[in-house]
Amino acid sequence: MTTATLSQPTSHRVLRNIGFLALPLIVIVWSLADPTLGREVLEWIPYLASGFMMNIVIAVLAMLLGTLVGALFGILQLVPYRLVRLPVVAYVQLFRNAPHLVLIFATTYIFPFEIVVFGHYLPFPDWIKAVIGLAIPASAYVAEITRGAILSIPTTQWEAAKGLGFSRGQALRWIILPQCLRRSLPPWMNVAASITMGTALASLVGVHELLHAATDASTAVRRLDFTIIAYLVVMAAFFLLCYPISRLTRRLEARFNAA
Amino acid sequence: MQDMSLTDLFVSLTNRIGLNYEFLATGYEAQIWRDGFITTLYLIALLIPVSLIAGLLFAACLTSGKIWLSAPVRGFIELTRNTPTLVQLMFSFLVLNTVVSNMLGGAQNNPLSPFFWVVAVVGLHIAALHAEAIRAGIEAVPASTVEAARGIGFSQLQILRYVEVPLAFRSSLPAIVNNLINLVKLTTVGNAIAVSEITYASIMVWTQRDNVVSLMIVILLFFSAINIIVARIGLWVERRLAVPGYGL
Repeated sequence: MTTATLSQPTSHRVLRNIGFLALPLIVIVWSLADPTLGREVLEWIPYLASGFMMNIVIAVLAMLLGTLVGALFGILQLVPYRLVRLPVVAYVQLFRNAPHLVLIFATTYIFPFEIVVFGHYLPFPDWIKAVIGLAIPASAYVAEITRGAILSIPTTQWEAAKGLGFSRGQALRWIILPQCLRRSLPPWMNVAASITMGTALASLVGVHELLHAATDASTAVRRLDFTIIAYLVVMAAFFLLCYPISRLTRRLEARFNAA
Repeated sequence: MQDMSLTDLFVSLTNRIGLNYEFLATGYEAQIWRDGFITTLYLIALLIPVSLIAGLLFAACLTSGKIWLSAPVRGFIELTRNTPTLVQLMFSFLVLNTVVSNMLGGAQNNPLSPFFWVVAVVGLHIAALHAEAIRAGIEAVPASTVEAARGIGFSQLQILRYVEVPLAFRSSLPAIVNNLINLVKLTTVGNAIAVSEITYASIMVWTQRDNVVSLMIVILLFFSAINIIVARIGLWVERRLAVPGYGL
């Protein structure tokens, strides 16, 4: 009995680590077993990597923009003026319920392909439109997270701040928001993982990212085994990026729940 | 006739505020668009039961305590949660579908349509999320309740069926409703492999008519409406099933 309870966590940990590395291991072993396939893979890896860089750039910029706008909107959802609050609440509800793909299509097809600034024609590339398309749902999620975090702080803290002579804005800035930061970190990381995976949708509007690169590569090589391995590389890349984030999120959640 | 004039009235009214719904008055494009809505609703209606049943099976495997059952399911859950659904769909459609075709001796013998692959991939993806929620619910069932059930002679399967699942379902319902809202949004990935759901149908219309904004407004309102309905039904079920004496 004792050995069973002791050995189970260890075997779970071993299984988990094997699982984490399973996809890249399959790719490497298969490439070594079939040298002609391995040579093709080696040849295409830089192209795929350049695609994946685009995914990361889109995800980081979308989260940056989404977090800034979302934090502001989360605060605005709680202001006592209905004229400010209602449009923001409507924005959050509409875009939280909208599929990411629909928003990427919207920004891609509605925005012009170039913009005029002081008589200069500046190109407006598709990947920036994808950033905006993903920043919109990100901002709606972050707004809800911020609102929830602010509401989870006891009212007595607002009252105590008021008693100490803080204005509403000062209380928010110096007392409420610093506590929200910690509480909203795990859900924020969930949103970040979801937006990172959403960047693959940009391939459908022609952005050169990893999935698009894999499709290019498989149509160029035209071998079924290469197609399989190309998509395995895509899955492995996203998995290696997102799995640690989700593990860390769950650890933080467990720790905050215990505290 | 009445219907026709209503359409005309709508088109002329929306035209005055700068929106273009002229295609509604034509037969062919309006038909494509209507079918797009119906396909999306059909996908949702089919996927909700599929994902719930598969999720329950996954959760049963996860909590069975047998490593040969729980380890593969756990692996699948982690894989599907941490890779984009679009990539899974492309992989299934381009790789698994081709393998099936080759085994059956040519694509013409392959009975699996793109529609099938959307249902399979999205259904199993959401099922994995359901399974996580139900597993957490099963683990939250007090050990003494399970022991009492065992004490009066319930088998392992009966405990799962009559004690753990009913209690776990109630406590995991908010998470399940959340997953169902994700499911509604995920049906749009079918677009990638030419399943003619609403975004695919809309592309067909706006490439001809150049009225992206008009169509976008309707699509966004459509998804908001479905998700509000799903959330409302979830809340209703939650209230109906609430255990007396718990919560508010």
